[in-house]
Amino acid sequence: MRVENEEYILEMLGKGLREHERSNLQYRDISIRINAIPNAEGSAMVDIGNTKVLAGVKIDVGAPLQDKPDEGALITGAELLPLANADYEPGPPSPESIEFARVVDRGIRAAEVLDLEGLFIEKDKVWTTYVDLYVLNYDGNLFDAGTLAATSALLSARMPKYEEEKVIREGNLGKLKTKGIVTSCTFAKVGGKMLLDPNANEENIMDCRLTIANDENVIRAMQKGLRGAFTFQELKGLVDVTFDNSKRLREIVKKAVGD
Amino acid sequence: MKIVLPGDKISDSVLRMENGIVENGKTYATVIGMLDDEKGSFIPLESVWYPRQGDFVIGIVENSKNNVYTINLDSAFRGLILPPPRPRFGGRGRDFDRGGDRMEERIEPMQVGDIASSFVKEVKREADQIILILERPRKLYGGKLVEVRPSKIPRIIGKANTMLRKLEDGTKCSILVGLNGLVWIKGGDVLLALKAIEKIQEEAHISGLTDRIGTLLAAGVSK
Amino acid sequence: MKEKPELIIKGKRTDGRAFDELRPIKIEVGMLKNAEGSAYVEWGNNKVLAAVYGPKEAQPKHFADPERAIIKCRYQMAPFSSLEEHSRSGPNRRAIEISKVTKEVFENVIMLENFPGDEIDIFVEILQSDGGTRAAGITAAATALASSGIPMRDIPYAVSAGKVGDQIILDLNKIEDNYSDADMPIAISPRLNNVLLLQMDGSMTKEQMERALAMCQKAGESITKLQREALEARYK
Repeated sequence: MRVENEEYILEMLGKGLREHERSNLQYRDISIRINAIPNAEGSAMVDIGNTKVLAGVKIDVGAPLQDKPDEGALITGAELLPLANADYEPGPPSPESIEFARVVDRGIRAAEVLDLEGLFIEKDKVWTTYVDLYVLNYDGNLFDAGTLAATSALLSARMPKYEEEKVIREGNLGKLKTKGIVTSCTFAKVGGKMLLDPNANEENIMDCRLTIANDENVIRAMQKGLRGAFTFQELKGLVDVTFDNSKRLREIVKKAVGD
Repeated sequence: MKIVLPGDKISDSVLRMENGIVENGKTYATVIGMLDDEKGSFIPLESVWYPRQGDFVIGIVENSKNNVYTINLDSAFRGLILPPPRPRFGGRGRDFDRGGDRMEERIEPMQVGDIASSFVKEVKREADQIILILERPRKLYGGKLVEVRPSKIPRIIGKANTMLRKLEDGTKCSILVGLNGLVWIKGGDVLLALKAIEKIQEEAHISGLTDRIGTLLAAGVSK
Repeated sequence: MKEKPELIIKGKRTDGRAFDELRPIKIEVGMLKNAEGSAYVEWGNNKVLAAVYGPKEAQPKHFADPERAIIKCRYQMAPFSSLEEHSRSGPNRRAIEISKVTKEVFENVIMLENFPGDEIDIFVEILQSDGGTRAAGITAAATALASSGIPMRDIPYAVSAGKVGDQIILDLNKIEDNYSDADMPIAISPRLNNVLLLQMDGSMTKEQMERALAMCQKAGESITKLQREALEARYK
């Protein structure tokens, strides 16, 4: 049951208070555990507060994408599992789950986490990297949890071999070659205030939402959601906050992956 | 005191209890709970709320059609608030059936999304489901609504309301506790009240809870 | 054509287990905050997550049963769950069948008659698979239910048994699942000694089946114990 507490949350924000004693631009506790699913080539379980997202990476040999015949393919999928939230129903992907997958994909692709050209094998044969995001418990901010999970899973993945027309997934395998690292920061506009890492209660009443994915140097992807609006001033401010926070996020990823 | 699981035997005799089942003259638990062998009492650690006449409940208005309000009680059972009976008037416009002020019969108009408290007037077995007829509805303004596991509700109230009073005194909040598992908190230090309620849910089964809650309330919130 | 591997070498199975030995099992309860009840099971290399929601109003209305709650059960394997290729999302026929027989286990033990017109949702997600996922899924779902407060008569468990030649083996892993001469998953309500799920394919004499049943029941004692410990651990 969705319990809306709009009046209460706005009142608290007016007093400078957020649930669980957080400040407006503060993350909940973040934890990343790689190799949660050893059968997969790569995997990472991420918790941000009570939000729990599992990313699994599978690397297969297949045909390249029609418009990119000389490079490997990256395909990102997501499922808002019905066990994650009373409001999630089983069935075909909802617009929310599709947006979620595509936004995470955009960040990874734009930041060139993978060296897609290096994943070319021969004519009509490339390595296809499947990243699947499994939402196990929803308490807001799937985007940042998903980006952290996908990045960590890719950065810690092993690389299968292709020998004599067969994919070898066992034995002494090297690591999947990666280039970039991407993280994201998601903000909810609630009662005119910007809240970083919104939980479910805050997302329930937010006017609009902004996710900014970046790496050390540049913004890599952005996505604004819902019907409210941001001012230009607000946008610029959020970019600054994102760069401020992303250093720590990248450090958390690197620590989890074991660099 | 030991933990019993669904399917564990509670008694070699027939006991009529909400969370038990009788088979071949013996009673078995149907939920996880604590069994006190000496006192012969069974306290569920987790359970669904089974409504009874007179239960105080809190819910959210889900629908209002034809003057009937449907209330979502966040449980297996839905509630209905029916329009008050039409008064029957005598010849000269006087109400012969009931004297006195009819104000209490009027139901405050509510909208979908409003929070309302009420009492269970009747647990009615309809053709295809169980419906609760609710009475004496009261719209609740503002405040924060919190979901609490129904099995923990008795601990939040405490024996003779002791815990509830402790919470209200320690936080200066008004707190209404719906037996269906929804608690409404308003005014005062809401964040502290939420913290205390979370702690009660987690530690309901550990003795000395009342003292620990006292300590938490005395310490106050860090901000 | 792929050569059929030897499943029993010098009296031992491919993973070194004895014929009646279970793979190592770990059960944890309550890690999903939104669900009414949840359980995570590691069973050999299987990693399974189960959660329950409800009872709540049955939707759509025409599915509702006026006498009792209905159960909606979904068993699904993650696309990254196998050691082989990535698999497509979405229910396939095997998953739909497993969802049905899993549902039927719980229709027996949950007190559905307490909640006419309602539904209870059971979700089983196979995060990593290595043979015997339906048994792990049912065991996990039963544990999740027992932690939820939804009333049930008993806590079922499930396990599988199979046959290699004349040797009955317990708890088949993936290779054994693929190449054995018979495979028999079974779910049991231990208190009442009732069989709630039974499937089999291959070939078995009546005597072999009886041996298999006995092996499963004996293993059930350990599985039930693990479920119990996981449930009690939350309150210690």
